[in-house]
Amino acid sequence: MYGWGKRNAAGALSLARGRGGRVKGMPWRKYAVIYRLVLLENLQYAANIVVGFFSYAVFIYTFIMLWEYMYRTPGELIAGYTKEQMIWYVMMTEMIWFGSGAASVAREVSTDIRGGNIAYLMNKPYHYTLYVLAKYTGEWSVRLPMYAMLAAGIGTLMVGPLPGFPLTAVPGMAVCVVLGLTINAVFKMCISLFSFWIEDAAPFQWLYDKLLLIVGTMFPVEIFPKALQPLFKLTPIYTVFYGPAKLIVDFSPEKCVEILAAQAVYLAAGCGLMFLIYGKGVKKLYVNGG
Amino acid sequence: MQAIQVENLSKTFRVKRKEKGMRGSVKAIFHPQTEEIRAVNGVSFSVPEGEILAFIGPNGAGKSTTIKMLTGILYPDGGRVEVLGVDPTKQRRQLAYQIGTVFGQKEQLWTHLTPHDNFRFFGAIYDLTERETEVRIDELSERFALKDFIDIPVRNLSLGQRIRCEMVVALIHKPKVLFLDEPTIGLDPVVKENVRELVKQMNREEHTTIFLTSHDVGDIEKLCRRIIIVNDGRIVMDDSVEHLKSHYPHKQAADIVEQDRGNEAAGSGDISDASLEDIIVEIYKSQGEE
Amino acid sequence: MLTAVKNQMRVCLLSIKYNVMREMVNKVTFLTNVGFMVLNNASFLVQWMILFRLRGEVGGYTFREIMLLWGLVAASFGLSHILFARVFSLPDLIINGKLDAYLVQPKNVLVGVITSSTDVSAIGDFLYGIAIAAICGPGVGGFILFLLFTVTGAVVFTAFALLLGSLSFWFVRMDMLQNQMVMGIVSFGTYPDGIFKGVSRFLLYFIIPVGMAVWYPVHVIVRFDAEMFFTVAGYAALLSAMSVAVFYRGLRRYASGNLMVARM
Repeated sequence: MYGWGKRNAAGALSLARGRGGRVKGMPWRKYAVIYRLVLLENLQYAANIVVGFFSYAVFIYTFIMLWEYMYRTPGELIAGYTKEQMIWYVMMTEMIWFGSGAASVAREVSTDIRGGNIAYLMNKPYHYTLYVLAKYTGEWSVRLPMYAMLAAGIGTLMVGPLPGFPLTAVPGMAVCVVLGLTINAVFKMCISLFSFWIEDAAPFQWLYDKLLLIVGTMFPVEIFPKALQPLFKLTPIYTVFYGPAKLIVDFSPEKCVEILAAQAVYLAAGCGLMFLIYGKGVKKLYVNGG
Repeated sequence: MQAIQVENLSKTFRVKRKEKGMRGSVKAIFHPQTEEIRAVNGVSFSVPEGEILAFIGPNGAGKSTTIKMLTGILYPDGGRVEVLGVDPTKQRRQLAYQIGTVFGQKEQLWTHLTPHDNFRFFGAIYDLTERETEVRIDELSERFALKDFIDIPVRNLSLGQRIRCEMVVALIHKPKVLFLDEPTIGLDPVVKENVRELVKQMNREEHTTIFLTSHDVGDIEKLCRRIIIVNDGRIVMDDSVEHLKSHYPHKQAADIVEQDRGNEAAGSGDISDASLEDIIVEIYKSQGEE
Repeated sequence: MLTAVKNQMRVCLLSIKYNVMREMVNKVTFLTNVGFMVLNNASFLVQWMILFRLRGEVGGYTFREIMLLWGLVAASFGLSHILFARVFSLPDLIINGKLDAYLVQPKNVLVGVITSSTDVSAIGDFLYGIAIAAICGPGVGGFILFLLFTVTGAVVFTAFALLLGSLSFWFVRMDMLQNQMVMGIVSFGTYPDGIFKGVSRFLLYFIIPVGMAVWYPVHVIVRFDAEMFFTVAGYAALLSAMSVAVFYRGLRRYASGNLMVARM
């Protein structure tokens, strides 16, 4: 049950490949072109995304019902969260989960490596990993805002707005969410890059997702036994889900800075790891001839 | 005795039209445009038992639609069909016991199984006992020369070997009528010849009525005594192949033949020299101009 | 009549055997798929352990009853996806004209179609469900009831998917709706009915058949109630009859791949 979602950007892939190579002068321009192409393609999939809203709505509705039941008295706190905060927290983590669709990164990298396509892609005048990330960015640029609007709609209607929500802080929150998504994609890419050595990275991908989904999206970290909490804060859960979602339900400038700092560290480390694994993988490919 | 009798048969499909791009998609939501396509439009003919009939026409002429109505796959909108005295829409199962089908572009075989296992499965489908099935498999594998690969999974077989297996499946229950929808598509000349030989043999030895559609003039020339040409859902010609070849009095056909042969052959434009292919092309073309 | 049924059974059994053989070609993939699905389902234990740390009951259910709920959803979802996996991709078969092969066979079309493939990971779901029932020990009688309701649940899953899938004969995009609705049974069915109120409760009993597939059965297993028992059985039979009728009504409109969208 709860299978992995399916999406297909193969068409955009070939388009981007055809044009992406010849842009000269500005080294970043090519990523912008890849991004734009995928963005355009994905606008057409907007209708499909709307259908996917149903799953999100079902999930959120169930959680609203659940927490309505769990909170007995008005103003009660569970793990330091009011009922409204608890529900908004879940809505935000699920928004990031559904809106990111990071499985497409994993699928693409695994297919490229296992199918041998990587041999053609790695000699192009761009860095393969950044190429994949640019494509991925084009994908979530459409999906995430749509889920954000849906979440805001459901939340306002069914739970009511968060008391004391600072509208001026929205840009800061958005940056945190976007950085979180990117970190998640980088880590998923790292796992998929192991396909250079092992037959199938999907089980590891799956374990990573499960950890994030069960521990990171359903409940805030504070609800778990005290002993486990520091451990969770070391995992990507903190920078991908917990940090951004907590910031949205209980904003403070200090917290924002703290999370951004943590994300910067994670992103730098993640990218470093990504380049390292990719470099080693490519070298291994040259040695063994693919 | 007539094996197939068709009177005034019709089938209409309602096809959605959509303009290209985003705008077209959006427009299709608000003003869905459908168009009725009369795939088969008042077709009547009959086929006596033991005949080999070619049922041909340009792409989209209604050949496959007709064959599918004769075999009980499609439900006709109007008219009457009787195959071996049975109405395919009302007694589909009863009919299925007595007919065999080979659709060149669609496989019915389980590709992970060996031909032998496949045949056993289809033996069970047609209620043959295991002993009957084995006897029939022996007989057909002899005739179709399957001995070398009968225990190799179908996915490892060549296209030519597969089509022979498809034919064995279609014949396992000794059908009285065999429907072949482009059986030689994608095959090399040697295999084509082999398939034709086998079809002929079936017709000769088991007195099987054969209903064939094909774009390959060779199939028609080497197999069929009679030819029905359809275009735009209507029968435009129903004649014997012999008669068509020697008496098709279309002047344009002769002209085209002459042009094709160039100047050295000028003046010797004997009509009876026009190949069947030329004649068919000419009939298709003259239909298109109307 | 009896021989016809016997012959049909022979084909079905062969079909299932061959399906499993196909999946067993790669044994490692097979075992991984099954094993990971068991783990996947087990991971949701964390969620419920957390919730029961907060309260002694959720929606009127004890932890053991929640486990039965989960087990029943997993087992019946699993059973329907092991035996009738193809019903869950029926829209694709209808729209892309893939029913032809079954229509020229002298056997029941519907049975032929829906038994023509299997879903390996569903074996993991099924095993997990059965294991949960054995561990949460509703007693021998309860266990037998659990098995019975696994069957009715699988029938509801299959019939519901058949009903929605068959609408593809008339409408486009039913693949999405079918998938969402079937997963809706899973999503709602793994939570206690006590937390749903009002309209949603009505919908979950009468539109998405969560109530009849899961909640009633669990009530019956926990405390036997003959009326509820027969309601569930009757509902499963009725839904099946209805969905089969809709399928055959739609089959007349089957276009065998001729229904592609024409682009201008």
